[in-house]
Amino acid sequence: MSAPARAGTRPSRLLAADVLRTGTIGLRTRRLRALLSALGIAIGIAALVSVLGITSSSESALLAEIDQLGTNLLSVSNGQTIDGQEAELPASATAMIRRVSGVTAVAPTAQLAEARVYRTDKVPAFDTGGLAARAADTSLLGALGASIRQGAFLNRATERFPVTVLGFQAARSLGISELRQPVRVLIGGQWFAVAGILNPLPFAPEIDRSALVGFPVAARMLSYDGHPSHIYVRTDVARTARVAALLGPTADPENPGSVAVSQPSATLAARVAVVSAGTTLYLGLGIVALLVGGIGIANTMVIAVLERRTEIGLRRALGARRGHIAAQFLTESVVLSGIGGTAGLVIGAAVTAAIAKARHWGLIIPPEALWGGLAVAIITGSAAGLYPAVRAARMSPTEALRTG
Amino acid sequence: MSAAPVLELADVRKAYPGSPPVNSVAGVSLALHPGERLAVVGPSGSGKTTLMHLMAALERPTSGTVRIAGHDVGQLGDGEASGLRAHLLGVIFQQFFLLDALSAVQNVAAGLLYCAIPAHRRQEMAIETLQLVGLGHRLGHRPSQLSGGEQQRVAIARALVGRPAMMLADEPTGNLDQATGREIVALLRELTQTQRTALVVITHDQAVAAAMDRQVELRDGRVVAERRNP
Repeated sequence: MSAPARAGTRPSRLLAADVLRTGTIGLRTRRLRALLSALGIAIGIAALVSVLGITSSSESALLAEIDQLGTNLLSVSNGQTIDGQEAELPASATAMIRRVSGVTAVAPTAQLAEARVYRTDKVPAFDTGGLAARAADTSLLGALGASIRQGAFLNRATERFPVTVLGFQAARSLGISELRQPVRVLIGGQWFAVAGILNPLPFAPEIDRSALVGFPVAARMLSYDGHPSHIYVRTDVARTARVAALLGPTADPENPGSVAVSQPSATLAARVAVVSAGTTLYLGLGIVALLVGGIGIANTMVIAVLERRTEIGLRRALGARRGHIAAQFLTESVVLSGIGGTAGLVIGAAVTAAIAKARHWGLIIPPEALWGGLAVAIITGSAAGLYPAVRAARMSPTEALRTG
Repeated sequence: MSAAPVLELADVRKAYPGSPPVNSVAGVSLALHPGERLAVVGPSGSGKTTLMHLMAALERPTSGTVRIAGHDVGQLGDGEASGLRAHLLGVIFQQFFLLDALSAVQNVAAGLLYCAIPAHRRQEMAIETLQLVGLGHRLGHRPSQLSGGEQQRVAIARALVGRPAMMLADEPTGNLDQATGREIVALLRELTQTQRTALVVITHDQAVAAAMDRQVELRDGRVVAERRNP
């Protein structure tokens, strides 16, 4: 066989599998350096994934709260008096609201302005702890979707006697944590037996900080005058907005403008928005970490190119094209960041799971955070490896061999 | 001797920029035929290594033509010139240039890496070639576990594994003791004979040069003497 017939000017070729093989030689031989370089990317990606995961999980917890509360709860009040107490609504307001089409439940309450709540008669009068006494009836529990933490709620019998049910915060302020022994509190100068404690009601903080008593006993012992001050209204889900528009004129036809109608779920929705807003800041920090990781990889690759000049020269002598050399170093950089990115995903997911578990949230990691995180890692690796790869490819093979 | 030369240099010059420019190779013409063994001798700085880089298509001449198997290197792009190195040439260095991370077999197989031959076939060919150079018992050893002579044998196997038309060796015995150097020269002679591969050896060792078919002496980038060895 004559020499020219052995091969024409066939360009040299590198199989795809060999691109990966040659691209990981550097990582296999310098493992500690590879590990440390990948760590930077891992931290950045872990930050991104955990920020997105924690945000989603906490949002889901808030949304679950909104679901449980329902968006069909409306609260009607009449603003505040000059001394900070709830202003009265007309005595007929409850009955009028019941007649509105679309209303499914109505629970009136009345803040008893004169009646202060104390743990004992030894407590100074000014030390009210910010607690209020409030008259309510048996419908309150159902209308709010509230639940009893301990004991029992008011019923037809107990609402006639000096018996009270404490909101969660009120019980904490009074230092009452359990009701196995009979407990009494002083309301408006009279002793009331504590029948029950409610679970927390984040969307109705005024109930949380109240001692609830029945209307009949309030009228008899605490000078309740028949005017409700805060009415909770449950509506047909589809007609909430329409009912909300009617509640002002219905509750107080003479001064409809002074009636405040609010939707407690809107407050929680605002909290969701606040959580989302914080995400941007933390994502920014994650991106900074990722950038630092990328610079670390670029630095490692630049050093690797300098250290491996001989190898570059040798590969060129063995038939590698410039593109093959570039591909080798670019692959190394991408694999490095891919490893870092994958580790980052695992770390980020673990951090999210741990925090979600500690806070009793459902664990939610958006799929976009996972594939997006890996994509960002690989893009970072490509960007970091580009300059070193081009530099390696442009290196003169004879120069590289001479310096070896 | 086959009619078509495997390597043909016609008035080849290589100048590096500077003031004044450095003329490393200043008008060299020679031809090498399949199976032929040529020694290029000369003192340090005479342009031997630059000449070898030109012959290996690692450099392009400033003027003149270098033809490898009929292809004008000056006219080829990076891909085609690299293709010549991958398919037609085998290069051996004084410092061996073996990759420490790879075993002897993997180092030899690397000689076929840029020919798009699948890994398992590369491995088979590498084992065959290592046996050919007498290292069948050292397949899995790393370069650091081999003697200097053994390392150079691995490097020779790497140059030879693709059955090149021409091997280029730059001071192949320069880092070896005399006895090992003699063994390596004998091996190169034997391989070129059995494989019908042309060989160019760059050396300043007269004993090595005398073992080739012919030798050219280089001084200041020019051929100052050329003779056929007995």
